[in-house]
Amino acid sequence: MPAAIITSDRTSVDLDACYNPSTGVLDRRIFTDRLVYEEELKRIFGRGWNFICHDSQIPDPGNFFVSFIGEDEVIAVRDRTDKVNILLNSCPHRGNTVCRAELGTTKSFMCSYHGWNFDLDGSLVAVPNEEAFYKGGLDKKDWGLESAAKVESYKGFYFATLDPDAPSLLDYLGWVGKLGIDMMLVDGPIRFLDGVHKNRLKCNWKFAVDNLYDWYHVKVSHGTAFKVGLVTEEAMAPNDQMVILGEYGHGIGGPGLTVERQAEFDQRQTTGEGESQWYDLQAGHRTDPATREMLGPIGHRSFGHPNIFPNLWVTHTRQMCLRIPRGPFETEIWWFNYLPVNLPAAQSKQSIFTHNHVFGPAGFLEQDDGENWSHSTRGARGTQSKNRPLNISMGLGQDAVSTDPSGQSGIETVVNEHGQRWTYQCWKEWMQADSWQDLMNNHSTPPQGSV
Amino acid sequence: MGTYQKLSVQERLQLTFEAQEFLYREAELLDARRLDDWLGLLAEDIHYWMPIRRTTQAKDVHLEFTKLGGMAFFDDDLTTLTLRVKRLSVGRAWAEDPPSRTRHLISNVRISDVDDDEITVMCNFQLYRTRLNSEEDSWIGRREDVLRRVDGELKLAKRHIYLEQTVILSQNLSSIF
Repeated sequence: MPAAIITSDRTSVDLDACYNPSTGVLDRRIFTDRLVYEEELKRIFGRGWNFICHDSQIPDPGNFFVSFIGEDEVIAVRDRTDKVNILLNSCPHRGNTVCRAELGTTKSFMCSYHGWNFDLDGSLVAVPNEEAFYKGGLDKKDWGLESAAKVESYKGFYFATLDPDAPSLLDYLGWVGKLGIDMMLVDGPIRFLDGVHKNRLKCNWKFAVDNLYDWYHVKVSHGTAFKVGLVTEEAMAPNDQMVILGEYGHGIGGPGLTVERQAEFDQRQTTGEGESQWYDLQAGHRTDPATREMLGPIGHRSFGHPNIFPNLWVTHTRQMCLRIPRGPFETEIWWFNYLPVNLPAAQSKQSIFTHNHVFGPAGFLEQDDGENWSHSTRGARGTQSKNRPLNISMGLGQDAVSTDPSGQSGIETVVNEHGQRWTYQCWKEWMQADSWQDLMNNHSTPPQGSV
Repeated sequence: MGTYQKLSVQERLQLTFEAQEFLYREAELLDARRLDDWLGLLAEDIHYWMPIRRTTQAKDVHLEFTKLGGMAFFDDDLTTLTLRVKRLSVGRAWAEDPPSRTRHLISNVRISDVDDDEITVMCNFQLYRTRLNSEEDSWIGRREDVLRRVDGELKLAKRHIYLEQTVILSQNLSSIF
């Protein structure tokens, strides 16, 4: 377990001291240091389960979609046996990419350099002039495209890990990660829509990630959205908050209903009387008993933002967002959009309107976010400013985790920074672990009692 | 042969001149941040659309752009365009406060179709933006615009914007194209 990473300016970031959970103070250098970043690629992205694509994006054999695990480009492709393979997009001969398109359909992947041809399962099936030039000296079965160490799906969401020692996807997700995905299924099975909004921000990926738990910034950063009447202020940033923390850094943070509020909603549903409230729209998607059972007694009262650690953000706009690292100072933002399979046409149209107008680079909310994150990153680059730690202490020591007999637990409170603290606590454990075994043995379990 | 090609040189010259004058004037308003005046150039049923573009194999090139009615960077009507403009005046529109400095370069203007009251005009554009001390963005693409005569004045009734970028290389798209 390395205590420190020697950083590029010859100081060191102490991976234990870089985040102090008792004060909520965070070392800024973790956002800008090149060597910290290289370790993140290995220890977090290279080790964790990364979301790659949804089943419905590649429905037929030969369909492929290209994505990333950290900076490793991977091809998700359905083969002729209907299996989804996640292959490293790099020819083992000279390393050239074998697929230059973002998506499409193919019978095989042929390297443009020397024509090595790979089947949809990654196996090397043809080498030009093999007999004449290699004269039997090349064993093709040893030179296929490298596959991700493990590929598994949870309800149609395909994840991959590069680490053969990783636990199963379900063990990795735990109840909180699964809940985050289940929240996308509250209106039944879904299909992903054609078109992923992609753009680049000049920010460290972690600033984008910790923001998804941040309901403090909404009224300030996104004030124009309610000032022009696109959404109401209360619906956008209610004070009633619930935070759910899961193993390995997963979490859900944002609006939530207390038991009393939920009962009040249910009462109004029954009687049809009473004033409408900010949570009616979200709660309205969870009235079905089967849906409530799927989400659980605490989960069904949360309308917060899940993050599947490290970088998959789920929203309640029928979208999810990957934050793909592109060096310490750059992040690619990918918005995936989906609809329930059986959604009526008028509601589908309304949902697509939301997809195209809220997030994404031209979105009424998100166009202002990049400005904050890139300037937070910039602020961590100065020799003086990088040594000034950041404050993520809101709510520290002032709240309590309540646990339901079902085993689900949550923190019911006001706007807070519990989710951010949990993210960096887990981040430093991932960064200190030398192996999955080490991480499994030494990671924090989500807090109980006072937080 | 389309209607436009059947016109005399003089008629084509006149129409092209009118279209160019409209587009240049419009660009001037956008770059001068006179966005309320810009809204005045729009037809009530304007469709302002920028699809998502993808890198595809040559044989899948039909997948290059997302389709109408689906995912898009912009899919706006007069209401949402008005909100975009209004957003800038209510405070806290951080992507544009301090305001960006933009310059629209419009070129290769050519009319592809004309009927009684509408001119379909294609152009290439470069939108250059700089912000704060040193931030720079440049978007190049083509537009398909429809200009309609309404009470003797040209109004913009359709703008379809096709960028050359697939991954948008800027942190936002807070400018009008």
